[in-house]
Parts: sequence; structure tokens; C-alpha cells
Amino acid sequence: MASTRDIRRRIKSVKNTRQITKAMELVAASKMKKAQQAALAGRPYAELMAKMLASLANRVEEAQHPFLARREVRTRGIILITTDKGLCGPLNANLFKLVSDIRTPAKYAAIGRKGAQFLARTKRDLLADFPANDRAAFADIRVVAEFMVKQYLDGVVDTVELIWPRFRNTLVQVPSALPLLPLQSLRHAIDDLDSHSGAAAMTQADDREILFEPTAAVVLEALLPLYINREVYEHVLEAKASEHSARMVAMKTAKDNATKLLGDLTLEYNKARQAGITQEILEIAAAQFAA
Amino acid sequence: MPLTLEIVTPEAKVYSDTIDTVVIPTVEGEVGILPGHIPLLTQIQEGELRVTKGGQTQWLVVSGGFAQVEGDKVRVLAEHAIDEEKIDEKAVEDALKRAEQLLQDASTTDPAQFEHLQELVRFAGVQLDVKRRRR
Repeated sequence: MASTRDIRRRIKSVKNTRQITKAMELVAASKMKKAQQAALAGRPYAELMAKMLASLANRVEEAQHPFLARREVRTRGIILITTDKGLCGPLNANLFKLVSDIRTPAKYAAIGRKGAQFLARTKRDLLADFPANDRAAFADIRVVAEFMVKQYLDGVVDTVELIWPRFRNTLVQVPSALPLLPLQSLRHAIDDLDSHSGAAAMTQADDREILFEPTAAVVLEALLPLYINREVYEHVLEAKASEHSARMVAMKTAKDNATKLLGDLTLEYNKARQAGITQEILEIAAAQFAA
Repeated sequence: MPLTLEIVTPEAKVYSDTIDTVVIPTVEGEVGILPGHIPLLTQIQEGELRVTKGGQTQWLVVSGGFAQVEGDKVRVLAEHAIDEEKIDEKAVEDALKRAEQLLQDASTTDPAQFEHLQELVRFAGVQLDVKRRRR
């Protein structure tokens, strides 16, 4: 049986661990709330963009825009959204599993250090990597989106897809993939915006007389890249919410585990202490008896 | 019938109020919107947005984006929008200097980034213009 001193030392270290994991759980919980609020704050933007696209939908030749033109897919372009930091349970590992299943040729851009490390380690074609800090600013994410769109327009990649941890609820995050480019149709984009803005009714194509400045085609050309930027930004925010909830759950498990371990250790410590006392009494009694 | 003006950015809805008139900096020049304007969808560039309400004028600075007029609603979709009063002149000047410095060294970097920096410089420039003029 371990000596009481050893057990006491272990109790102390487990207590420290419990304190740290508890603090991290609380931090993750508050960050998760912030991330969810940020995701909600983006809704009016999605709503307005849907309205603008809707008023353009029936007025321009869709197929002319390079985002809407289909072409043969030789190399897929994938934006992998992961976290910068670890200690968030199986969140990143699940994403990597999804990436490992990709057999067709693909080039990658990573948001988040973990993803960049994984892609480098598995010797995949990493075009660029970007950090994923907690304050995901639109200006930072837009750089990623524009980079990937440029690769698409230059013909380096033939699709742009996203892989990110979809936030289902606090306990469940599902690694998911979403094709961004080429766009299926404007209608598809509008429906997608509607689903994000939480609009009750579908935004209908607007056929009333509208003045476009400079022209409808020019406006559409400028609006579609914004749509892609918004799309990437939105998923980064969702990934943030997923990250923090995954970390919160992982830390809660760790904390509970530490509490359980602490109970076991305390019991063991008391037993050892009791055994020591009994031993001492026995020795004193034996000594007295001998005298 | 008063107009409603809404300005949204990806990060938040930054402005929402009923107003009398608004002047929007479009790519084809400034456009003044009065109640009863015909439906309009236009591209805007970085510049100042003048809002008049009850005889008082308020200045906002927006970066590039779009504006939509529909009935009595004016909606602006911009990447950044900031109230003139909230502009921190010092911070903007610093940002402007940094961006200009980067532009100087940026002969080698890719054109997309170059364009982004130029946009930053223009946006910062407009902010400073508006702020100084107001004093």
C-alpha cells in the first residue's frame, strides 16, 4: 500500500487539475455564448443579401458568371476549418477522418493551426494556412475566402468546398462538407441565405421595376464574391461555437473524472491513515505487554 | 412618410432608424434618397453617408457594398460602417500609416492583397476627411 504521504501528494495534484479544468470549462462556456451571439448578429446581413440576390435573380443571364459556370472537376479545392488550440475532445480528429476519406486529387487551405499541421503531416497539398483566433473578424476571414476564390478563377482548383464542424447542439458537433463553388444557381444561394437568416418565408424573386446602378450584371458580379465571403465567415463562426462547446464538454468530463478520482484517493488515504494508527496502537500495546 | 434606414455589416446591424433623407456614395456618384424614390439597387463605394433627421445631419462612413431602396426602406449592405463621432482619429491615422507602409513594401505580394490594402487606405482616408471636416 502506498504511503500516506504519496497519496496526499497525488490528491493535491488531482485537485489542481480539477481546478484548472473547471476554470477552462467556465471560460469555454462564456466563449461559446459569445460565438453563438456573433452567429446571430450576422442574420440581418444574410437576410438583406437574400433580398438583393432575389431582385437580381430573374434579370441576368446566370450562366455567364464564372461562379455559376460548370466545368470538369480535376482538382477539388477544400477549405478546412479547425481550431488553433487542442483540448477540445474529438472535434479535430473527426474532421481529419473526413479529410482522410477524400481520395480524389484536392488542394487545401486551412483555417486553424491544427488543420494546417494535420495537412502538412499527411503530406497533402496545402495552398495556404490561416490562424483561427477567437475574435474571428470578417476582415480576416474574407482574406481566406478571396484567396480560395482566386485559386478557383485561376483554374488551380475546380471547386471550392468547406469542411467544418457543424454545430448541432452543445453535445453534438458533426464534421460536414459543403460545396461552395461552382454555385448551383442563384435560387439555391437565396434559399441558403434564407435558412441562415431564419426567415419564416422564402424570399421570392422580385419582378417589380427596379433601377440598377450601374447595371444588374455588374451588381451581381460584385455581389456574388460577397456571398462567398459571407458563407465562409458564417461557417467559421459556427466552427467557433462548435469548438467552444466541444471544449466545454471535454473539460466537464475531465473535471468529473478528477472529482471521482479524488473520492477514490481520499478513501484510500483514510484507509492508509487508519491502518497506520492501528499499527501504532498494536506496537504500543505489544511493547507494554512485553514490559 | 419617413424613410427607414438600415445599415448592416457581417458582424452586426449597425444602424436602424427612421430618417428624413439620406445621401449615399454610389459608384456613379452621390445619390440622394427622399421618400418615394423608385426601387433601386446600387453598388456603393467607400465614402460618407449623410443622414438628415429632423433638420440634423449625421455623418457615417461606409466601405464598399450595396444599397437597396424599396418602398420607404433604405438598406445598406457594407463591410464596415462607422459613425463619424466614433471615429478614433489617432487609431485611423496609425492604421493608415501601417497600410501605406505595407503598400510601399508590397511590390512582391499578390495583387489581391494589394487591392485589399488599397481599399483599407481609401477607407481610412475617407474617415479622416470626414472627421477633420466636422471640426
